Amino acid sequence: MTKLKGFAGKILHIDLNNLTHHVLPTQDYYEWGGGHGFGAKLFWDLSEDIEVVTDGRDPRNVITIAGSPFSGTNVPSAGGRCEVTNMSVGLIPRNRFTRSNFGGHFSSMMKHAGWDAVTVTGKAPYPVYIDVRNDHVMIRDASHLWGKDTHETQQIIQEDVASVEVASGWNGQLDGNSFGRTTQKASVLTIGPAGENQSALGCLIHGAGNAAGQGGNGAVFGSKNLKAISFIGTGAVDIADPEALIKARFKTRDFYAADIDKSAEFAFPSLGGKPEAITFSTMPTGHRVSSCHGCVNGCKQRNAIGYGNEVTCQTSVWYLGAVRSYKFGGNAKLSLAKTGVELTEDSLYAGDLANKLGINTYPIMGLIPWLQKMHAKGELGSGKEIHSELPYERLGTREFADQFCQAIATGTDIGAYFINGIVPGIQQLGHSADVDNGTLHYPYYGMPEHGYDPRAELEWGYATLMTDRDMNDHGLNWIYWTVNLAKLEGIDFPIPAEVLASRFVEKMAPYVQADEVSAMDYASHNMYSEVLARQVQWINHYGRFWKNSALMCDFRWPDCVNTHREDLRGATGNDEVGEHVWWNAVTGEGISYVDGIERGRRIFNLDNAIWALQGRHRDDAKFADYIYDHKMTHNKLPTYLWPATNGAGQWDYREMMGRQHSREGVEEWKSHYYRAEGWDTATGWPTRSLLEGMNMKDVADRLEQAGKLGNEEV
Amino acid sequence: MTTNKNSFEMDTGRRHFLAAIGGAGMLIGLSGTAYALRDEKIYIKTSGGALVVDLKKCMGCGTCMTTCSLAHHGKASVSLSRIQITQDVFKSFPQDIEMSTCLQCDDAPCVAACPVNANKASEDFGFVRDIDPVKCIGCMQCIEACPQTPKRVQWNPITRSAQKCDLCLNTPFMEEQGGIGGVQACKKVCPVGAIGFITELPDQSTPKSYVVNLRNENWAKTGKTIED
Repeated sequence: MTKLKGFAGKILHIDLNNLTHHVLPTQDYYEWGGGHGFGAKLFWDLSEDIEVVTDGRDPRNVITIAGSPFSGTNVPSAGGRCEVTNMSVGLIPRNRFTRSNFGGHFSSMMKHAGWDAVTVTGKAPYPVYIDVRNDHVMIRDASHLWGKDTHETQQIIQEDVASVEVASGWNGQLDGNSFGRTTQKASVLTIGPAGENQSALGCLIHGAGNAAGQGGNGAVFGSKNLKAISFIGTGAVDIADPEALIKARFKTRDFYAADIDKSAEFAFPSLGGKPEAITFSTMPTGHRVSSCHGCVNGCKQRNAIGYGNEVTCQTSVWYLGAVRSYKFGGNAKLSLAKTGVELTEDSLYAGDLANKLGINTYPIMGLIPWLQKMHAKGELGSGKEIHSELPYERLGTREFADQFCQAIATGTDIGAYFINGIVPGIQQLGHSADVDNGTLHYPYYGMPEHGYDPRAELEWGYATLMTDRDMNDHGLNWIYWTVNLAKLEGIDFPIPAEVLASRFVEKMAPYVQADEVSAMDYASHNMYSEVLARQVQWINHYGRFWKNSALMCDFRWPDCVNTHREDLRGATGNDEVGEHVWWNAVTGEGISYVDGIERGRRIFNLDNAIWALQGRHRDDAKFADYIYDHKMTHNKLPTYLWPATNGAGQWDYREMMGRQHSREGVEEWKSHYYRAEGWDTATGWPTRSLLEGMNMKDVADRLEQAGKLGNEEV
Repeated sequence: MTTNKNSFEMDTGRRHFLAAIGGAGMLIGLSGTAYALRDEKIYIKTSGGALVVDLKKCMGCGTCMTTCSLAHHGKASVSLSRIQITQDVFKSFPQDIEMSTCLQCDDAPCVAACPVNANKASEDFGFVRDIDPVKCIGCMQCIEACPQTPKRVQWNPITRSAQKCDLCLNTPFMEEQGGIGGVQACKKVCPVGAIGFITELPDQSTPKSYVVNLRNENWAKTGKTIED
């Protein structure tokens, strides 16, 4: 393939067993796009024994942190995302190759330093960190950093990297035989004590609060004795058509993005979303909205109160229910019905605490109300059935948050039970029934519910079953937020349900036809339909390339509905500012929107081949029992409205609460999905004809050798 | 690389100019040069415009920087950008962000320091202070002369010459006409409108006078302060 622009040209391979590094030419990986595609192919190429490694903490695990051609550019809401891939820690029924993703400025700095990705194998004999300054790579002793929190670690490294000032406010960095200059601080990705202790709840942190945690990424770093990776770069990304890139960015600004100077009115929160911190409790006005590199409108914040910077989205609310419970009574379950400013500061404090210790806040949020309940029943506390010295009577205070987070991060006190994950810990304590009956909301693979119950938000549950983890794709999910918050505020949602559904379906090429509006119909009579399988197929393939590999932000892409456009049609797939416009301007290729999705299909099938080798089978893909056995009765908002038809075929936003799945129905839907993908419906494994059709004969051969090749449909 | 939209007409060389002062100083400022005589002192004529910034509005996305380097150089870079956004994400608002633009100083010490008149202010382009990379000999005296931190004149290691904000006068990779009266890429691309353009330079005694409040009531509606 012709050398493409947009790529730095080098992938950094760190071998911690030997404390050496190697350069892999990016050109060998072009066809995988970047991000997840790079991670999957590098995992395939560099893993010694895919079949036998069963835990992400095995030194043979391959962890890759990858950027894309968009990293370090001004492609809207794509310049700063970064993909992490590795074998997981703490998932059930088995660990598997998995992914996470974080924002900020790490991938952009990595690109400006001249690297497309860094992949790490082996285990260092002592704690180390990787210090990259342009093309100069050092594997350095991290003994002075071990034990420090994520913020302090980054600050120490940043100070060291910026030690040579060459002009006032500019520091100098070696760049080949030359000397580059920058005003910027090094971008650092690090673990805190949770990762050091190899807790499944440990995550990677970059900046104040950009985190990658689902799948135990922090534990993987810790198991490798790897404290941090730092990049500083003074270089540039070559762009194929810079004029086209600037032109498209200006158009995005003028016609698709929110212009806050002109209006603060409702805007559908994908590409057209307003610059607003996504913290679900009311913020003090003394803050700024902050963003990742190149964002079209940010979603994070930094505060005047002295803490809580970049504590965003779920991290801002993991302790909110507890704070409310302590101050006003009631249980500690999350509710966003009333979120006054009196709850905010303690919630931000707790978010900050977790970020500093490097704790993944999703799994611990669901644990808090369970601990409260067990304490109230007299089964948890000092000398009780579950012994713990934490001050449970003060659950909801900063004091409790401090002690709880320390215990989780260090694997002491109550944290000792959960070092391998929440669900394994609950099982160890003899309370599996609470997972099965839905007292604890961990609906799939031992992972916490993301906040979107599979009984209501069908695509979230289904896509998770068909992939490796809680899918974390908000492409359709913005419907939930906009419709249900409007309901909560007592206002009518401005877009009729059928129009909204149509706008989404129009973007689902090539799997759903533009007139198949039923692909968005979440009515019970359509729950297990074949068209919903194709809708999820679009989500998975679109996501694997445009979001996970090209690294367009999940919060801003796809842009299916855009309220700044008269016809409400978003940027996705269009020839003005659609996904492929950016790809072609940056790289110089000439691909279409659907070509990108086809690349996503190939990457997704390589994933599935890896999962098959790791033991995955159709039988793994199932929800926790409560999803089938109990009706949905709780949600963080009082309603769960979604576009749906009634028996007469009339569209409206209809209530999804009170619904449950049937095992037979889900199995029927899975069969639809496997057929749509061309996978063996009995096992879920890919077939030879499918893989060879995507130029992956070597993958088919390997699966056949392992006895994991799917049978062709007869 | 496309052709530069702006044809440069170089003004009189500084050394030539200084030599002329001895005999015909009173003519200065009357013949379209970049220099003027005021209060018995020689001044470089005031720039017809400059950028101003709102430090409380910026969200630190860096889009202005990569767009600046794209417009001027065709590459996405932070080091090559003529506007520098620096951040310390661990500091509290509003001390966490600094936006560093060229002030287009009235006395333009960077122009005065240039020994070859590569750093100049031309009447044809509204007296914006800019550097001709071809004429620049790479002596870095203009960088030294800039009184701001971080220095607003940068070193370009690729061309081995100095560069500075020219208000997008010389932007071969931007379709729009730049410069005074045209488009400034950083201002146009800023998602939240944290960069403004003024045609009357503010008080020159402090760079803080280039910090303005660009937030209106819509900003307040999204829960953020609009106080200075």
